[in-house]
Amino acid sequence: MNKFIFILSEGFKNVWRHRSSALSSIFSIYLTLIVSGSLLIVSQNTDKLVEYLRDKYKIEVFFKNDVSEKRVDELAQDFKSLNGVSSITIISKKDAEKIFKSQFGDDILNILGYNPLPASCVINLKKDWPTKIDIKPIISNLQKYSEVDEVNHQGKLISRIENYYERFLKVMVGIVSIAIIIAVFIITNTVRLTILSKKELIKSLQLIGATKWFVKGPFIIEGFVHGILAAVLSLYTIIGVLNFSKYFVYDLTRFDIYYDQVFLFQVLLSLSLLVGFIGSNRAISRFLR
Amino acid sequence: MIKIDNVSYSYSKGGGVSNINLTIQDGEFVFLIGPTGSGKTTILKLLYMDIFPKAGNVIIDKFDSQSIKKRKIPYLRRKVGVIFQNYHLLEDRNLFENIALPLHVLGYQKEEVVELVNESIDEIGLSGKESHYPYELSGGEQQRACIARALIKDPEIILADEPTGNLDPVASFELIKLLEQISNDGTSILMASHNYNLIKSRGHRIVEMQNGSVRQ
Repeated sequence: MNKFIFILSEGFKNVWRHRSSALSSIFSIYLTLIVSGSLLIVSQNTDKLVEYLRDKYKIEVFFKNDVSEKRVDELAQDFKSLNGVSSITIISKKDAEKIFKSQFGDDILNILGYNPLPASCVINLKKDWPTKIDIKPIISNLQKYSEVDEVNHQGKLISRIENYYERFLKVMVGIVSIAIIIAVFIITNTVRLTILSKKELIKSLQLIGATKWFVKGPFIIEGFVHGILAAVLSLYTIIGVLNFSKYFVYDLTRFDIYYDQVFLFQVLLSLSLLVGFIGSNRAISRFLR
Repeated sequence: MIKIDNVSYSYSKGGGVSNINLTIQDGEFVFLIGPTGSGKTTILKLLYMDIFPKAGNVIIDKFDSQSIKKRKIPYLRRKVGVIFQNYHLLEDRNLFENIALPLHVLGYQKEEVVELVNESIDEIGLSGKESHYPYELSGGEQQRACIARALIKDPEIILADEPTGNLDPVASFELIKLLEQISNDGTSILMASHNYNLIKSRGHRIVEMQNGSVRQ
């Protein structure tokens, strides 16, 4: 316990002792977090947009004329169990007749003497898929049923939107990964410079019998403190910029930027602690090897 | 007990020691003398296991250089106090913090640290200078601080590498007397020096090194 308190207090004191190198370390984590945090908000808002668009995805299934209402109900239950389907709205022949009347003002029975409109159903897709929705398997499954006459869908549009979304996710993961790697690299080098200037301290600690973790501890705590400071700074920067710009964005696009402050801070903090730990641990471990 | 058994070590750029045999009993005070480059510091480094023999083995208590695991080395070093010619005090810490460092490593309580360090500072005659930084102390005072830091953890062995190298004759003599006092309390001491005049009349065993070997 006493050792832990000593390591902890040494870590905090080191932040002040190595304040000039701390600045570059904090700044590089800060920049990484700004990039990652901005991308997180862009991603959350893109998710929201994609969910909105997915809400509009519809697949219309028209049944053959001789399919009974009971069979339509059964088929609708089958369709509901297909992967990616969230709900089904059945439009019976009578419903179709009413829709015709509401849209064209005439009763089709008066015009033709019989109701030629087929029973159909509208399939709504799930909107909270983590990756892109592929509707091809759903369509081919629907077409296998002999009772199905025709399947209408916005396949090309959906796949175009989904492909863009998939590409966006990949690019985003790539950018965040590169930002993290660069930050780890900068921190490793910053901490290594600090360690080189603290060679004597490390040697002295080793000679008086300090274990590896006793030597490493303060440097890792120092890395954590850098991370926390960078996380707080980047959170305030991102929120400041969002508060400043969201009214302009709304005026221009009618789009309300969405962000969850607590979630954003949790992500930034976790990321900064991770980057701070990996960076300082790498540097000190190489030195102690 | 310290036992150096047929030890050889060579540096990549030349120098080192060959076929060294040396045994130091508990509480014994031994001088290691020889010119610069004769291998005195190498012997000390082998003893605190900063380097490992290329042949032979070093045994200190239950620690054997041939079988010791890397993670066990700190536990050996807790039994050994090392004193350097250049003091190796930490420039960004004051006298109190420098002497207290070994106690923190051993996990002492804050109150114990304060008590032991103040006692130690008193013993080396530096009371009132607790908050002084190394650059505010004279060479002799820094060397005494270095000794206090080595002694505060109550080591079984003291390895001193040219501790009088930067001291004037009076301070050097006082330091030898202080080490003798410590040795009388049962601590084994191996002190490397090239100042034969200083040690010849002290009545302790003298081991002479030349070109990396013990001169018989």
